[in-house]
Amino acid sequence: MEARKNTSLKAKIQKLGTNLSSMVMPNIAAIIAWGLITAMFMASGWFPNAKIALLITPMLNYLLPLLIAYVGGRLVYDERGAVVGAIAVMGVIVGAKIPMFLGAMIMGPLGGWCIKKFDELFQDKVKSGFEMIYNNFSSGIIGMLLAIFGTYIVNPLVVAGSNFMSKGVDWIISIHMLPLANIFIEPAKVLFLNNAIGNGILVPLGIQQAASSGKSVLFLLESNPGPGLGILLAFMFFGKGSAKGSAPGAAIIQFFGGIHEIYFPYILMKPALIFAAIAGGVSGTFTFQLLGGGLKAAASPGSIIAIALMTAKGAYLGTFGGVLVAAIVSFIVASFILKADKSMDDVDLDAKQAEMQRMKDESKGMPTAAAAQQSVESYKDVKKVIFACDAGMGSSAMGASLLRDKVKKAGIADISVTNTAINRLQDEQGLLVITQAELAERAAQKTPNAMHVAVDNFLSSPKYDEVIANLKALTQISSEEATTPVQKTTATVTTANDVDFAKVTEVNFISHDQHKGTATMATELLKERLDKAGKKVTVKNVTINDLADNDAHLVVATQQAAKNLRLRYTNVQIVVVDDLLTSQQYDEIVSKLK
Amino acid sequence: MDLEKNMIVLDKHVATKNEAIELAGNLLVEAGCVEPEYIKSMITRNDDVSTYMGNFIAIPHGTDDGKKYIKKTGISIVQIPMGVDFSDDESSSAEVVTVVFGIAGLNGEHLNILSQIALFCSDVRNVAKLADAQSEEEIINLLKEVGK
Repeated sequence: MEARKNTSLKAKIQKLGTNLSSMVMPNIAAIIAWGLITAMFMASGWFPNAKIALLITPMLNYLLPLLIAYVGGRLVYDERGAVVGAIAVMGVIVGAKIPMFLGAMIMGPLGGWCIKKFDELFQDKVKSGFEMIYNNFSSGIIGMLLAIFGTYIVNPLVVAGSNFMSKGVDWIISIHMLPLANIFIEPAKVLFLNNAIGNGILVPLGIQQAASSGKSVLFLLESNPGPGLGILLAFMFFGKGSAKGSAPGAAIIQFFGGIHEIYFPYILMKPALIFAAIAGGVSGTFTFQLLGGGLKAAASPGSIIAIALMTAKGAYLGTFGGVLVAAIVSFIVASFILKADKSMDDVDLDAKQAEMQRMKDESKGMPTAAAAQQSVESYKDVKKVIFACDAGMGSSAMGASLLRDKVKKAGIADISVTNTAINRLQDEQGLLVITQAELAERAAQKTPNAMHVAVDNFLSSPKYDEVIANLKALTQISSEEATTPVQKTTATVTTANDVDFAKVTEVNFISHDQHKGTATMATELLKERLDKAGKKVTVKNVTINDLADNDAHLVVATQQAAKNLRLRYTNVQIVVVDDLLTSQQYDEIVSKLK
Repeated sequence: MDLEKNMIVLDKHVATKNEAIELAGNLLVEAGCVEPEYIKSMITRNDDVSTYMGNFIAIPHGTDDGKKYIKKTGISIVQIPMGVDFSDDESSSAEVVTVVFGIAGLNGEHLNILSQIALFCSDVRNVAKLADAQSEEEIINLLKEVGK
């Protein structure tokens, strides 16, 4: 029990990291665009251009936070959440002098969450025809309120947090414990406060120092690319999946391009890595001091090239030594963290693989041994069920309405059942995704955190009752009334007793004018049952005139039809069933056939 | 939206699933719901991911791309009492379909009726009633009952 709690806390922290990182990751392109413009065209850049440089500040202060808030809102509540998130973040952005990444990571999801809750309360009360008005005005008004809330409440809080970080750095410098400044700097960087600290505190102080002594180590504290490089290299060797694959490119952009922002999402993914950054930063700064590293002026962006250009005469050893030490230390710590974490992730991976196997088995109609005992555990977290299909137009809508009906009838509250196109699936916790078996793999890729169930029959899958039974067991609703009583008829079926099954080589259904469809379907259903049981008896759908009158033929018919048959045929064997499609007697018939 | 009599055909005999889809698609075209191109999109969609729903029904509809050919929402019904196999050519087990619902959906207007169809057809005995139906009205009435 104790161990479970630990992992769930760990899982929660990881989930938070994943959420933060999934707000930033889709916007990496924008960060790169901004970074390249900054690196190339700023006043101290490679090709200074005042006109292009006008882009830098608005992109940093507006575009990037807006994008992050938009994506953050969308993670919570699709397009509607995204728009409200973006409106909301404006309140935080405007009037702040620092780039509001942190504010965006708060306001985006908050905006999405607010409109989601609002919709849950009111959406089904909207009269048809008023949906558009409701949708637009509710988002607009909630967005407005959140923007105002952001201006007065969130903005000052984030500014205060940022000031606190700055004060901390300031204080550490004043007590001459410079390496410890990185304890504040590294976490602040990851929250995108790097420029606030770099340009706000370190650079002004550094300029003073450089004016008197020709160089300053303060310029290196924040711009040292070593810690980030170490972490990215660690991902390159010990990471996995997309993080591993994208790490080398990120390392080049970070180390040579000086765009540190690119490694922040990697830390957000595994928050423990902040210790690697801190360790790298502290030891790097310590080395700078020990070996006398320092820059003539601010290196911006913090690329190794800019740093080399700015290094004061005679300070090369100290400067490069510090960067190198920082990279090595952060690499070692990060590798250790990634490897230590791997044991757990491997379990996750194994679980995922087992899940995939299970889905494959299910899609082939094989029974799953482990499924039963696992299901109760895994259903515990399900908050919402989404049916996914290719276009979101037909099959998923049907499945969703069926399951919604069953959920309602079972008296389960608090679980929503919706449908969507598979491409619009959003990964989240507490999600159960139901798809056609063919789409199962794609769904698993889109939503690795969700539970998956694959069905090959959207209309009458036994999976539905399984899902309902599990959900119900876990929502603690009076378990007295069984969900779907399993009807095992014990009564012997007398009608089948006087049939000599040993002689039967072919089973026939009569395709009667008014029951052609039924006969076709009954034939198929019996074929399927016989197939499953491994019996080789032929099943045919024939018209009443084509029936061969001998005892190798067994006709399955209803009471009414059987009467007519007996008038016409004498030798053929007849078994009477109450229902041609779903009769319980089929079990007995199948078992007795050869 | 409601089901309409002219969107239903009974007692059709077809050899292939594509023939069945074309029948359902043509009904949609004739009723002015879709451009003829939509039929191609229905076949593509069914090749990508089968629209066979189980319980002897299939609900062919277009791809995401095909949505541009939809002029208005409509559902057509093709009854195939002798059945047609909707399984992939290579797949071994037959997926026999006796009732085909052709779907053109805009803005979710079709979801209500589709949901009724789903609830109704989740009982295979109900599908048999649709497959046995002798008139268009019978089918409309059968599906109407569900809403109540």
